[in-house]
Amino acid sequence: MIEREITIKNRAGLHTRPAASLVKLAAKFKSDFFIDKDGFEINAKSIIGVMTLAADQGSKLLLRFSGEDEEEACKAILELFESGFGEP
Amino acid sequence: MGLENLKETRKQSITVGFLFERNKSRLKLSSINGEVGFEKEIRDKNIHRPGLALAGYVALFTYDRVQVFGNTEMKYLHHLSLAERIKVFETIFKFEIPCIIITNDNKIDDELVRIATERGVAVLRSQFETTKLVYFLSDFLDDQFSPQTVLHGSFMDVYGIGVLLAGRSGIGKSEIALDLVERGHRLVADDVVMITRKGEGILIGAGTDVVKHFMEIRGLGLIDIRSIFGIRSIRFQKRLEIAVELQEWKQDADYTRTGLDHGNISILDVEIPHVKLPIFPGKNITVIVEVIALDYLLRHYGYDAPKEFSKRLDAAIAEKSKGKRAIDYFEHDFE
Repeated sequence: MIEREITIKNRAGLHTRPAASLVKLAAKFKSDFFIDKDGFEINAKSIIGVMTLAADQGSKLLLRFSGEDEEEACKAILELFESGFGEP
Repeated sequence: MGLENLKETRKQSITVGFLFERNKSRLKLSSINGEVGFEKEIRDKNIHRPGLALAGYVALFTYDRVQVFGNTEMKYLHHLSLAERIKVFETIFKFEIPCIIITNDNKIDDELVRIATERGVAVLRSQFETTKLVYFLSDFLDDQFSPQTVLHGSFMDVYGIGVLLAGRSGIGKSEIALDLVERGHRLVADDVVMITRKGEGILIGAGTDVVKHFMEIRGLGLIDIRSIFGIRSIRFQKRLEIAVELQEWKQDADYTRTGLDHGNISILDVEIPHVKLPIFPGKNITVIVEVIALDYLLRHYGYDAPKEFSKRLDAAIAEKSKGKRAIDYFEHDFE
């Protein structure tokens, strides 16, 4: 299991479009992927789950990966968060 | 992925203001000293009647609970002189009391309210009698401080039974839920189900305020069940009674064949039946889920099909009857 803490960078937060790109990317991996925000944990392969977080700019999220391809999944997802989903 | 190792959370505190806002109409509450002490925190789900503390015995005074002044406390205070009353109040206000609730719409001296205000403690008054107030307030506090968890699955009311459909992402939980809604059953929540333990043995599930009755169907996107199917297709909360875990069919997995050995699963320390359902193309899961709910109802009312069958088999073995036809003699039936 891998755990990483990240902060939402883009101004608009984790709104519908970034949430969709996140779950699409997550679905490519076999590993389980969960996100914890302030003790509230959701399955990050579910678009509804990710949107429930309503994570705004500056929110701290704890990402948790577990499964056979957890390393690759973690790397790819972190890159997506780092890029701010291609938004300012 | 599923129902094990759930993360349990519970509220550490609520503010007096929150308690007042949520209960002012339900408990017919009013605040005597405005919004004084509304920011104070309540950390205990229990309520305290401070009779002994008023009488001067404060060794075991559970001061950090909501203090309810019923008729006993008020009558006791009123049999004292005003000077004595003020002294009693100054004694109990040496402790960090979260708030005071006076029941039966009883009167309280301005001097005592002034002491409470100086100490920044809210004095609330209810029109309810003490037993009624304690009952409703305990229930509210119990709910606020109860353990909660989040489940990933679809939560349905099927023939009045709360059924959680769990399983890995993309296995088709939402599609089965949609099919169940089509057949007249009601959706409670999809994908993010908040479970709360009520009392000691009951689990209640609800959706989140953001999602309500939205659902994602792969290849279609987000849909709103309430708008499409109307009010009869949804509900806001439901007791959770069965967990159905959808799994890919595996040749070597150990599925129950008789139903005598159904396992339970523990969610927030409450045991509920756990059905592991293998799925494969062409299998009508919706109908099976309906049957699971109906079978649960039968068991609830005392009829356990596998046990009945097993009893019959035992009887047949005892009588040494070997697979006889159920009907001794077929009369003519040429239809």
